[in-house]
Amino acid sequence: MKPSLMDRRNALRLAAGSALALAGCREPTNAILVGSKNFTEQIVLGELLAQQIEAHTSLRPDRRFDLGGTFLCHQALLAGQLDLYPEYTGTALTAILKEPPANDPAAVYQTVRNAYRTRFHLEVGPPLGFNNTFAIVVRGEDARRLNLRAVSDIIPHAPQWRAGFGYEFMERPDGYRGWAKTYGLAFHSEPRIMDLGLLYRALQEKQVDVVAGNSTDGLIAALGLVVLGDDRRYFPPYQAVTVVREATFDRHPDLRGALDALGGKISDDDMRQMNYALDGQHRDVTAIVRDFRAAHRL
Amino acid sequence: MTLWQFFVQQHTEILSRTLEHLWLVAAAMSVAVLIGLPLGIALVRRRNLRRWVLAAANVIQTIPSLALFGFLIPVPLLGGIGASTAIVALALYALLPILRNTYTGLAGVDPAVLESARAMGMTPRQSLWQVELPLSMGVILAGVRTATVITIGVATIAAAIGAGGLGVFIFRGVAMASNAVILAGAIPAALLAVAADLLLGLLERRLAPPRTSSAASAVSE
Repeated sequence: MKPSLMDRRNALRLAAGSALALAGCREPTNAILVGSKNFTEQIVLGELLAQQIEAHTSLRPDRRFDLGGTFLCHQALLAGQLDLYPEYTGTALTAILKEPPANDPAAVYQTVRNAYRTRFHLEVGPPLGFNNTFAIVVRGEDARRLNLRAVSDIIPHAPQWRAGFGYEFMERPDGYRGWAKTYGLAFHSEPRIMDLGLLYRALQEKQVDVVAGNSTDGLIAALGLVVLGDDRRYFPPYQAVTVVREATFDRHPDLRGALDALGGKISDDDMRQMNYALDGQHRDVTAIVRDFRAAHRL
Repeated sequence: MTLWQFFVQQHTEILSRTLEHLWLVAAAMSVAVLIGLPLGIALVRRRNLRRWVLAAANVIQTIPSLALFGFLIPVPLLGGIGASTAIVALALYALLPILRNTYTGLAGVDPAVLESARAMGMTPRQSLWQVELPLSMGVILAGVRTATVITIGVATIAAAIGAGGLGVFIFRGVAMASNAVILAGAIPAALLAVAADLLLGLLERRLAPPRTSSAASAVSE
């Protein structure tokens, strides 16, 4: 996930979360501290890591979820208060390593992996499969009727279309301005700027024709919307990975196999559906992850 | 960059967003008063209506604004995205204090006064305009004042539905994690609320100098 308002929205929780995380003292040697940030997708991923560890090692995961943001998780990892947590390559690059955003997913992954090893003695695992970046979304019926697959396909329709965007998309350096320029897009009128949750509703009700969401938003799946491909590779990659302390791997060699088995297993659509199951259908996260693992024989 | 420099640099947008904000509040309050005042009067005459209308106004208060916007998006004419949805939602939220104070004010008029109005041969309409409304004006205006101050604050949510206003800075600031931008919306909104309270307080004293104890006690409701 992009370092975003979601990281910051629960600023109050940060205090509580850090107190909890840091108060925990070192457990006996078969305990392993699994962390996550404080939004839906991270809770699902944290639970997935924990269940994977339970199923394939003799370790006992201690769930330290809902921590208040990227920086807190990273600090907890460095301090040995966490052993691992899910992170996104683009977030690691810009928020932790303080480098400018880059566009090539493989290059970003390598940069982050190497820098984490040399600077922090942390190991960045193989990408889990999905990429949580901005997503340009249209109605399913329009996509089928006009045969829209990529953002370039909407260029001829843009002069008749109304666009709706969130505040984050409008303000971020990897957001609207560069995007409209890269694709040479000119819409019928100035984009409507509004709350992201309401944007999907407005799209569904045909108040706007194209919106920018996040690629793993559960509502995309639930409302039958279609994500257009970023064919000019404008959006920086935010591939999900696990970050693990090297010392933890040294102590528990069987952990590596359990975690590596998750590589490439979660597609954008898988993640959307799990997010929707938790957020939209209020299902229990343990059951959501159990079902996913069963379906993928993990 | 200090907060002050940011304000100076952004003053044209701050000003235009403030005007936009004021327009949203003025439009919503006009609608709320035009509906709330007659409805409040009707509640005194038809007491069986009272329970239902006040219950409905109470329920509206509990609907989160984003959910209300969501309900309104598909509604033709009133809804959609932009100012109309925001004004409808703000007016609905402003309804409760206006309704309740109008009702409380009118219901609090001394029955002896009503009796003498009738004895003087006043029609119900004359009694309403010449006796009851003037006597309860203080309480009614107090309701309008409360509703206005609340609406100025709540109107920052209009930015969530593309209606502009000072909330734009707040949403933008949250997205950028910039306190300066958030304050560019929050400080003018707070100043507007204080100014509106003072102005309406003046108006209240002009139109309805405090007189009866029943009015004074109802103000605090």
